[in-house]
Amino acid sequence: MKFWGVRLASILGAVAFCFLLEAVAQGQSSFVQRLFVLAGLYVTLAVSLNLINGITGQFSIGHAAFYQVGAYTAGFCASRFFAQMNLPPAAWLLLMMVTSAITAGLAGLLVGLPSLRLKGDYLAIVTLGFGEIIRIFAQNQEALGGAYGLTVAPKIQYVWAAWLLAILCIAVCRNLLRSAHGLPFLAVREDEIASSAMGVNVTQTKVVAFVLGSMFAGAAGAILAHFESFVSPPMFTMDVSFTIVTMVVLGGTGSITGSVLAAILLFYLPEKMRDFTNIPLAGVAAAFVAISAAVFAIRWVMQNFHGSTKDRAIRYLGILVGAVVIWFLSKALLGNVPSLKENIDGSKLRMVVFSVTLVVLMLLRPQGMLGHHEFSWDWVRSKFGKPTVKEATA
Amino acid sequence: MSLLQLDQATIKFGGLIAVNSVSFELKKGDLFGLIGPNGAGKTTCFNLITGVYKPTSGKITFDGKEIGGTPANKIANLGIARTFQNIRLFKSLSVLENVVVGGFLRHKTPLLSALAYMPNVIKETESLKAEALELLKIVNLDKVADVRSADLSYGMQRRLEIARAMATQPKLLLLDEPAAGMNPQEKEELNAMVKHIRDEVGLTVLLIEHDMRFVMSLCERIVVLDAGKEIAAGPPDAIRSDPKVIAAYLGEAV
Repeated sequence: MKFWGVRLASILGAVAFCFLLEAVAQGQSSFVQRLFVLAGLYVTLAVSLNLINGITGQFSIGHAAFYQVGAYTAGFCASRFFAQMNLPPAAWLLLMMVTSAITAGLAGLLVGLPSLRLKGDYLAIVTLGFGEIIRIFAQNQEALGGAYGLTVAPKIQYVWAAWLLAILCIAVCRNLLRSAHGLPFLAVREDEIASSAMGVNVTQTKVVAFVLGSMFAGAAGAILAHFESFVSPPMFTMDVSFTIVTMVVLGGTGSITGSVLAAILLFYLPEKMRDFTNIPLAGVAAAFVAISAAVFAIRWVMQNFHGSTKDRAIRYLGILVGAVVIWFLSKALLGNVPSLKENIDGSKLRMVVFSVTLVVLMLLRPQGMLGHHEFSWDWVRSKFGKPTVKEATA
Repeated sequence: MSLLQLDQATIKFGGLIAVNSVSFELKKGDLFGLIGPNGAGKTTCFNLITGVYKPTSGKITFDGKEIGGTPANKIANLGIARTFQNIRLFKSLSVLENVVVGGFLRHKTPLLSALAYMPNVIKETESLKAEALELLKIVNLDKVADVRSADLSYGMQRRLEIARAMATQPKLLLLDEPAAGMNPQEKEELNAMVKHIRDEVGLTVLLIEHDMRFVMSLCERIVVLDAGKEIAAGPPDAIRSDPKVIAAYLGEAV
């Protein structure tokens, strides 16, 4: 009875969270609403790719393809069946999410069965190729609107739907990892030969991960199609796949929390950069110098110094102050260079910031923001010096 | 009754005959040794039995069933578990999780209820963990159950591999050089542990080992391979004095 109480409470909590987001977004501009929805979709995409890349260890870089299969399924169905079925928009959207999940899952099965015998780079190439094939296929099919794309008839812009899917995806992945059923997936990532010697059906495990990940991407595609009320091939280029892979890697492969945080960060950061205008180019160049210097200094401290936390904190603080000083100095120096006397807009810097963040992270923390770790209340408690729940009850 | 029977088992890799018509038989409850110089085909023999390779010719029968060429995961389900010469633990998983992976082949709940984290899955996960902890007690690793397996010492990693293999609840346990890299005291402990596994847990054990003192004191019957061929078979005393074995492997007494 306790189990069902907790379960009901968490479902209600998730639903309440979604509608709270919906309520917050309603008062905002359509641009902000768009951010809310897309952030939810990217969280879904990153977490579902994490199931394939991070948890099962199959390096796939064609996740946009499944997103596209989902979006086109919804678009295709909407133009043919929406008018006849006479469903309320919310019910239609949920129906489309399920339908798109199934078609994307089938696509995942189609790619997965032959290609999951490949490993590492070879699998990456196959998934990359598959992504391109799907996009170009859609571009050349008149029935799918060709290069122009498809108009998706009812425009359904629910923030809650995107986040409900995100929460469902997170919950499913977390449930998998909490139960013993998740261990074969991790085992396949760690060592395929040993896994099969322990009775794990390696191919089946990989295909299940692939199909499950594709299904969530497909459902996300359905929401996207109805939100934009339009789907076209350029929405699903390789860039999208790479962005999702970047989110997974940045967050720490295998960490669900990491994927969620990285998805929100990497989605929000470039959008936020649009707000900044008229940035002096000399300042940007100086920032590069300062960041590079700081990164090398931090790496030096990490490699050569193993003192107490307090001593290390002092050194890092010193590096921070040093970096700011270097920034001011080099800004003053570089201000004299004629070609750096212009101002540029933040929107042009977005991709630069994106890549610099990645390079810095890879230099300082190659395992990603969270490594293999997950957020848990026990972890928060341990930071405050309190015993974990397990220790307290033992 | 014979548990495992190799009948003229042969595997060729191109022109190389790695295992050449090897035949031996293990009875239930045997403690059986497989020895021979490096490159003799001992590990390849293990790989044939556990389905990593398919024999080119010959028959391998386990528990009355022909198993030559059966996929490795099915063989594990039939009741053969193994350890690896070059330790193959799931490095970033904890010690306990490594053992639970071994026990997972006996799971009954479907994946779908795991995705919803239903009560039966919680219960099953708990019971698998409890079983794993019991096994860790046998190999004396229960104190480090939550440690990442890559952080264990070498000897502990070897013991963990044995526990993981035993978690599949096999009828036959294959140990590939279990004592490699262990110091004399660790070897003593391992010796006692393998005996315990055979006598108390009731498993049949087949092991590859280079340490002669270890093999001779532990195994009741031994097969000697050299260059893929079986050159001798019998109890330790007979093997020790066999001229062919001395020439190929043990070396002349000084």
